[in-house]
Parts: sequence; C-alpha cells; structure tokens
Amino acid sequence: MQIPQPDIVALSSVALLVSTFGVVVRRSFAGWLSAYRYQSIVLAGSTGLIAYATGVWEIYAAAVLTLLVKAIVIPRLLVRVTEGVNDEFKIEANPYVSIRLSVLISALLVALSYALVQEILPSAGLDGLAAAAYLPVSLSLFFIGLFVMVSRRMALNQVVGLLIIENGLFLFTTALTNGVSLIIEVGILADILVGVMISSLLLLRMNQTFDTLDIGRLEKLKDD
Amino acid sequence: MIAYDITLGADAVKITVIGILQAAGIFALAPLLTGVMRKVKAKRQKRVGASVIQPYYDLLKLLKKDEVVSEHASWVFQWTPWIVAASTMSAALFIPIFVPFSPVSSAGDILVVLGLFALARFFVMLAGIDTASAFGGIGVSREMMMSSLAEPGLFLTVFVISLTFGGTNLTSLVGAAAQSGVVIAPSVLFGFIAFFIITLAETGRLPFDNPATHLELTMVHEAMVLEYSGRGLALIQWSQSIKQLLLLGLMVDLFLPIGMPASADASLALLGFGAAAVVVKVVLLAVVISYLETRVAKWRLFRLPDLFTMAIASAMVGMIVFYL
Repeated sequence: MQIPQPDIVALSSVALLVSTFGVVVRRSFAGWLSAYRYQSIVLAGSTGLIAYATGVWEIYAAAVLTLLVKAIVIPRLLVRVTEGVNDEFKIEANPYVSIRLSVLISALLVALSYALVQEILPSAGLDGLAAAAYLPVSLSLFFIGLFVMVSRRMALNQVVGLLIIENGLFLFTTALTNGVSLIIEVGILADILVGVMISSLLLLRMNQTFDTLDIGRLEKLKDD
Repeated sequence: MIAYDITLGADAVKITVIGILQAAGIFALAPLLTGVMRKVKAKRQKRVGASVIQPYYDLLKLLKKDEVVSEHASWVFQWTPWIVAASTMSAALFIPIFVPFSPVSSAGDILVVLGLFALARFFVMLAGIDTASAFGGIGVSREMMMSSLAEPGLFLTVFVISLTFGGTNLTSLVGAAAQSGVVIAPSVLFGFIAFFIITLAETGRLPFDNPATHLELTMVHEAMVLEYSGRGLALIQWSQSIKQLLLLGLMVDLFLPIGMPASADASLALLGFGAAAVVVKVVLLAVVISYLETRVAKWRLFRLPDLFTMAIASAMVGMIVFYL
C-alpha cells in the first residue's frame, strides 16, 4: 500500500486551465482579474518546474519576473487605472456569445489544442521534450484568450483576453525552447507592461469620448 | 484503462457478511454525517449549533408523531416516502463505500444507481405538485430545471470514471481505484471537478440550494417536501442523508482511495483499517464542503446553469483528454 507521488505537471496544467475557465465564466472585472492573478501564479510555478526539469537558471529568473509583473504589477495597474470607470462598464452583461455557450466552446477549444499537439509533436520530432505536457495547455490558453477577445463586448474583458493569450504564448515558448535568453524574456515582459498601459490609456480615452466601454457602440456614428 | 478482476476468493461467506454489515453501516451513519456538517457550519457562523447526533433525535421524534395529510392528496403523496426510502436504500446496497465489495453488485452497475436516484427524485417531484400547494409547484419546477441540467454532467462524469477504471460495475470500479492509488491525470482531475459540482447539486448544498431554510422563496428541495410531516418526513430526511453519504463516499473511494485494500479478500484488519480511513476521509470532505458553504451565498436561480455548464464542460474535457 503506497501513496504515489502526485504528478505536479498534470496538477498545474489543470489549475491553469481552470483559471482560464474562470475568466470565461465570470462576469465582473474583479472576477477576471483574480482569475488572471491565479493563472499567473500557477504559470510562474510551472515555469519554475520547467526550470527545474531543464536546469537552466535563466528560466528561474523568468519565473520570478513573471510572478512579480503578471501577478502583482499588472493587476494593480489595471485596478488603479479603472478606478474612475463607471461600474456599469466593468460587468459583462450582454456578451455576443452567451456565457454558457462560451464555456462549452472553450471546452471544445481545449480538446482541439490537445488534438493538435497530438498531431504535431511526433512529426516535429519533439517527443523527448521535458515539458511537452504544457504544450496543449499553452495552445488552449491562446485559443481561449482569442475567443474571449472576439466574443465579449466590454473593452476591459478584451484586455484580459489579450493577457491570457500572452500567458499562453509565454508558456509555449518556455516549454518548447527550454527557455529563450533572459534578455528576450525581460523585453517581452516590459512589452506587456507597456501594452497594458497603452491599452488602459485607450480605454480611458474611449471612456471620455464615447462615455462607454462597450465595443458594440463604437460602430455607431457619433452625430446620429 | 486499468483492468480489474472481481473474482472472489474461497471465503465468500465472510465477504457477504461484510457486505451486509457495510449496508447497515451506511444506513446507521448517514444521519451522523448530516449532523457533523450542520455542526461545522454552525461553528463557522459563530453559533454553538445542535449536537452532532441531533439528526437521530429528529428522526425518532418524527417517527413518533402523527402524519398530517392534505385532503386533496392522492396515493402518490402517501407512497412517495416509501418509494424514496426503498430506492435510496437499494442504491446503497450497490455502492461499496467502506469495503471494496458490495453484496449485489453483480445485479446492477453505476447506471442502475443513478436510475434509482432519478426514480426517487421523480416521485418527490410528483408528490410536490400532488397537494397543489404553490410552494410545492415552485420547488418542483426549479428541481426539474436543475435535474435536467445536472443529469448530462453526471453521466459524462460517470463515463470519465468508467473509461479510467474500466467498466461500470461499482465493485470493480472501486477495486480498480484502490489498486491504482490516487490517479493524477488531467482526465481524472477534470472528472473530479465535475463530480464535485454535481455532488453539491445532487445533495442540495449551498450554491444550488440552501438545506437549512424553511419558508423562503429560494428553497428548492425543502419546498417540495414542505407538506410532509411525521413518518413520511422522517423517511425522506433519512433518505436524503443516505444519498449524501453515498455520493461523498463514492467520491472519496474513486478519487482518493488512500488506505483502501484493493480486494475484499484482504484480512479483516486491513478491511477495518480501510473502513476507518473512509470514515475519516468522508468527514474531512464534509468539513471542506461545510466551509465552502459558509463562503458562498446561494446563487440566483438563473445563474445556476453557468455552474452546471462548468461541470459539463469539465467532464467533457476530461473525456476528450482521456482519448488523446
């Protein structure tokens, strides 16, 4: 009677997927942000795991940076920037695709990414990869983030979708290449930070000019 | 897939006796679990709470009391408690909770158990509208909506479990789970998430239904059995407790089979250790659920489909990942 070692890779990939589903299923800005924060914390842990498996010290640094920037700085920045925004625009009341249908579609997207990786991996000769289990998860993050961006009305939700896509890409590169050089990682993180700043600036401008953060209303001409 | 062989050793008599003792244990311990959950919840809400054996006193008191039946009620109303109790108790015979063996598992599998639960629920719903009280009607319509959504999730979860542990026979499922230990694979973890959500819905715990309220517009299960009193109410409450113990025990046995011997042929000491481990794990799980219950409020009825969709999607992902 022995207690088997828990498979940490499986646990962390399920935690990543569940937090992504959290963004899909929740309706409020605070909900998306907390789901994103959980996702970033698990992502940092997974990156640390990849670092442990490959033994590359640069990935440890990337994990710490991920934790700092994505789990602490970006959520705080977004909360600070949206303080003045009307609460009405922080809730996804009427998305283009209903929440329930989005959850089911996201499940299908997860299945799609597992199938894709199953197809790609053997032909690309990448069977021996240390963190191959993360590849389908990163693809799912990418697809679900993309889906959130196109199916939601609120601009804030689209920013969160963009951040999920970025998390997916980060996991993908780290798992596939066993870590790109630290300079590039730092550059990407700075890029994300600047991207969030610019998009929040755009949000504020949009709020001032149109008095709404609803993407659907941008299609109307102003003087109607 | 994990293969498991059910063939029993020579000591069939001992095993049968153990199986019967197990069923008796389920019937006897079920109200205690309800009492523990209420106590933990009360403590979390800074109340003293009733003693953990209060459900037994409640049942005894109700058994002594007279039954009041509306003059508009038909036979459905009077027979429902007996049908509910009979189907829930026969479901209990099929499920191996404390030892990896159930005495009648060759007669039916997990789908039969789900069918028995559905039969009980069907009659509770009929009885709810039978007396034509407004509360009963509201409760029934809500329960119908919830059960029609819970059922697909439940079946998908069962498929995930069956695929992982091989077959639908409960004795072999629990035995295979005990043999393989805690399986940490994405498909099983997603199945576990779905099973957890569905269990909360089936036992009427908080995000879905508030088991502690009476005469509140949000109640679901309590609204259906509002007209019952005396012996009928005792039977229905007892069956509810048994169902709760069965689902929690099944969850523990399938997803966390630490300490469970792989076969009922094991020595008595091992079987006893396994049973004690199951009791401890079920109580821990009940404590976790009670804590969760104090953390969340009841969800608006029309947001509940979101949760059910979550369960269905999770089970679906689990099943697809299993095949890839």
